[in-house]
Amino acid sequence: MDVLFGAFAGLGAGAVFAILGVGLVVAYRGSGVINFAHGAVAAYTAFTWDELRNTTHGAYVKDDGGSIFLPWFDPIPEWGFLKALHINNLPVEIYIMNDPPVWLAALLSLAMAAFIGFLMHIMVFRPLRNAPLLAKVIGSVGVMLYLQSVANLNFGGANRADNGFWEFTSTNEPIRNFLGMDRNLAGSTLYLAVAALIIGTATWALYRFTRFGLATRAADENEKGATLLGYSPQLLAGLNWVISSVLAGAIGILFIHRAGPPTFILFVVPALAAALVGSLTSIMGALAGGFGIGMIASMGVNATSYDWWPEWLPSDGVRTFAPVLVMILVLYFRGDRLPIRGTVGVGRQPRAPFAKHPLVGLGIGIGIVVLMSNIFTANWESTLTTTLLSIMFMLSLTVLVGFLGQISLVQWSLAGFACWTLIRLSADGTKIRAMDFLAIDGPGWPDPLAALAAIIAAVILGVLISIPALRIRGVQLAVVTLAAVVAIEDLLLRNEPLMGAGAATTNPTPDPNWFGVEVGALDEKTFRTDYWKYTIFALIFVAIGGLIVANLRRGILGRRFLAIRSNERAAAAAGVDVARTKMIGFGVSSLLAGMAGILVAYKVPVITSEYFNPFVGLGFLAFVYLGGITTVWGAIFGGLLAAGGIISEFGSLHFEGITQAYINAVGAIGLVINAIVTNGEGVALMLTNRSKEMTGVMRGTSSSPNEVSGSIDANTQEVS
Amino acid sequence: MSVLLETKDLTVTFGGLNANNHVDLKVDSGSFVGLIGPNGAGKTTFIDAITGFVPTSAGSATFGGQDLSELKPHQRAQLGLVRTFQSLELFEDLSVRDNLLVAAYPTRWYTLLQDIFYVKQKKNDVEEKVDWALEVAGIAHQADILPTDLPHGQRKLVGVARALAAQPNLVLLDEPAAGLDTAESNSLGTHLRDLLKHDITVFLIDHDMGLVLSVCDYIYVMDFGKIIAEGTPSEIRTNPEVISAYLGEEAGEIQARSAEELRDMTIEGNE
Repeated sequence: MDVLFGAFAGLGAGAVFAILGVGLVVAYRGSGVINFAHGAVAAYTAFTWDELRNTTHGAYVKDDGGSIFLPWFDPIPEWGFLKALHINNLPVEIYIMNDPPVWLAALLSLAMAAFIGFLMHIMVFRPLRNAPLLAKVIGSVGVMLYLQSVANLNFGGANRADNGFWEFTSTNEPIRNFLGMDRNLAGSTLYLAVAALIIGTATWALYRFTRFGLATRAADENEKGATLLGYSPQLLAGLNWVISSVLAGAIGILFIHRAGPPTFILFVVPALAAALVGSLTSIMGALAGGFGIGMIASMGVNATSYDWWPEWLPSDGVRTFAPVLVMILVLYFRGDRLPIRGTVGVGRQPRAPFAKHPLVGLGIGIGIVVLMSNIFTANWESTLTTTLLSIMFMLSLTVLVGFLGQISLVQWSLAGFACWTLIRLSADGTKIRAMDFLAIDGPGWPDPLAALAAIIAAVILGVLISIPALRIRGVQLAVVTLAAVVAIEDLLLRNEPLMGAGAATTNPTPDPNWFGVEVGALDEKTFRTDYWKYTIFALIFVAIGGLIVANLRRGILGRRFLAIRSNERAAAAAGVDVARTKMIGFGVSSLLAGMAGILVAYKVPVITSEYFNPFVGLGFLAFVYLGGITTVWGAIFGGLLAAGGIISEFGSLHFEGITQAYINAVGAIGLVINAIVTNGEGVALMLTNRSKEMTGVMRGTSSSPNEVSGSIDANTQEVS
Repeated sequence: MSVLLETKDLTVTFGGLNANNHVDLKVDSGSFVGLIGPNGAGKTTFIDAITGFVPTSAGSATFGGQDLSELKPHQRAQLGLVRTFQSLELFEDLSVRDNLLVAAYPTRWYTLLQDIFYVKQKKNDVEEKVDWALEVAGIAHQADILPTDLPHGQRKLVGVARALAAQPNLVLLDEPAAGLDTAESNSLGTHLRDLLKHDITVFLIDHDMGLVLSVCDYIYVMDFGKIIAEGTPSEIRTNPEVISAYLGEEAGEIQARSAEELRDMTIEGNE
């Protein structure tokens, strides 16, 4: 009975997964895009509703509020001369009325969802419709990061008060002794389930029985055919984006009383699992899948309360692992090892030019870092080391995403795993610093040995994760690895029975001593003034990482990576062991991510698992894509641009009021533009192309594109 | 001559349809064997089956005496059984030379370390293989260009060169002349005959009857997944079943005559 009740209790969450899954299917059938921003759309709509009904700027004020916030922020600083020029601020907040009625609030919020869906179509996914897969994934990740930052700016990040659409909660209006099971079920759970069933069935009927649904299905099967019959695929795609967003918004409003923005945005993970159950095309399949995942997860969580349940498998981990498991099962049994004949290619990939003079770049880099380190100036130390740390991590993405073409979002979690392992191997059960909250038990290994072991641990975990990735490719890999990020956070990083005390809360980091040199960036204990030693330490790590990546590109494996990225079938026919080579790629990438994890541990005095949450990792992916995903220089530019990096810090110093929240939003916009304009070759290659063109013009030798093949790329001569 | 590739009763089934139906076929080492047949006869499926890209439902294939059934595509390639693709399938982000290098480098367990520490390799036999393959395909002057910047015919040649760079024992060419003009096709034929001198056995699929009849020593004809005839070019040319199934009577004779002329030219060219 208890087990059965667990299943019923999961109906509420299941309803949300189901309707979000249906929305994902609708968008996918309309445009062929898997929308990672789907949960963020639900969140933005839900908070618009809440802002109208209940709160003002996130603070709960009953019978107050009444403004809507447009989905952007005001980028124009408050400078006098702009006012003098009559350059006004971009309007963000629009006041509607005090305490609007439910119907008006719902209508306005759903209109907001429709507006966001329309904007996504016009500004992101329509321009990307012929772009390669990676650009589409990055585009939707960009939208997700953008909406997250803007929601944070406009609504604040806090969870909402216990007062949602249903005007009651589990505590004040439960259904007592539910179905004679002697347990109380929250009333909203049942209402949500019924609402989701109605919405889902109505959506199914819309696509099954109307002319619009028929046209969408036709365009989904054969876009050219539908065009010949007089339907505009782009108009259909736009309508489907609007419908998809409104569905997300509707379930968001119904569920707002349970979740804050980050949780809401990550609901996209179980929703993606639900959509995969429906093979991304079946609305009823997604509906059933969503309810199924909600109920399975809830049953699992219910089971953790039994005595026999192993302590190292916490209920949060069970909840987040359920969708991962469903995804892997679905994809593993439906995926083929090699794409079969006639499969549409992945599209034009960003170019990965030969790494020509890595040592020259290294020399310049060392010079700049030493000048900026606190040997000479104290103020930039922290920014400089954050930049180095970002570059270190981004190099792991250069290998995995740039060279090998595997869109894995899980690498930042591996950095976290290395960081956690290092902390526990080098701890010896005593407090490291007087300010430390708790002492961590551990064998007290010497620091270099602990670091080496931690990196190896990250490599092992990374290679293990790559095993399912051998059969899962493209956007589906991105989906599964996003789910894995959430699961690793709960199953490993926050799992105190497994990782030891402090894992979920505060992890005091070691005070590292490498061969007699204090290389940590901390000064609490000794009030050292020589933390340039950490800067140099980080620089050595980055230099090693950069050389590894550059040498890979110049060597045999780099060519094999690019061959696999370009065409797995042909690579196998050329004698390349695709599975083995992919595993090596995941291994090298995890090694670099592990090294970044070590740098994190040595930089800050105390660290929480928040530091390794999915958004931070996605932010890194966003910025390395912006810098250029296929080159070492791209990772360097990415590190300079990323949150806390030199360029963004410089920006926040000189543009009044631009905080890191803005930096993320601006970065997300840059990301989307980069996906559309440069196909991910990024700032690094844009600069080199520009300089090549200039010198070409001066010498009067600008190369002309080959007319026979109709290529648009005039600079390919330089590639090798 | 020893048998290099042999299939017995090889059958490939796609949902009830026998794309290859009990195919018995033999390729002697050092020979130049052709496979012709109308569109949809199952020729490409046959290459897919012996290179491991589609599963076989019955029958066996051996290569140099070794059973292929348990081997993955890359393992078959490493044995020296290398193919080209009808639909090009080049590595479009790599230069022509890099395309060949991917196929030419043998896999070693220390490749990763070698790469990471950037151990410079001498101008070794791998580079020589690549240069030779570029030379044979006649694209040596375009080695540093991206394949996407080449006209279609030359991209075909890159595909052939990539297969040759692996120094195969047997190269399976899937319609290398499709999309080439007559002159290109003729010169390709001449180059391909040259391969025999380098201990490479050639198995050629093509629509261009002139090419197949002029360069092959032995020809199999496939229709509806079955081998309907086999023999030397002169036998195939006069085989009534082949003529009705594939050539059409009158057209067949014209084609055959022009092929004879071509063959004389090619052989002269070789000498």
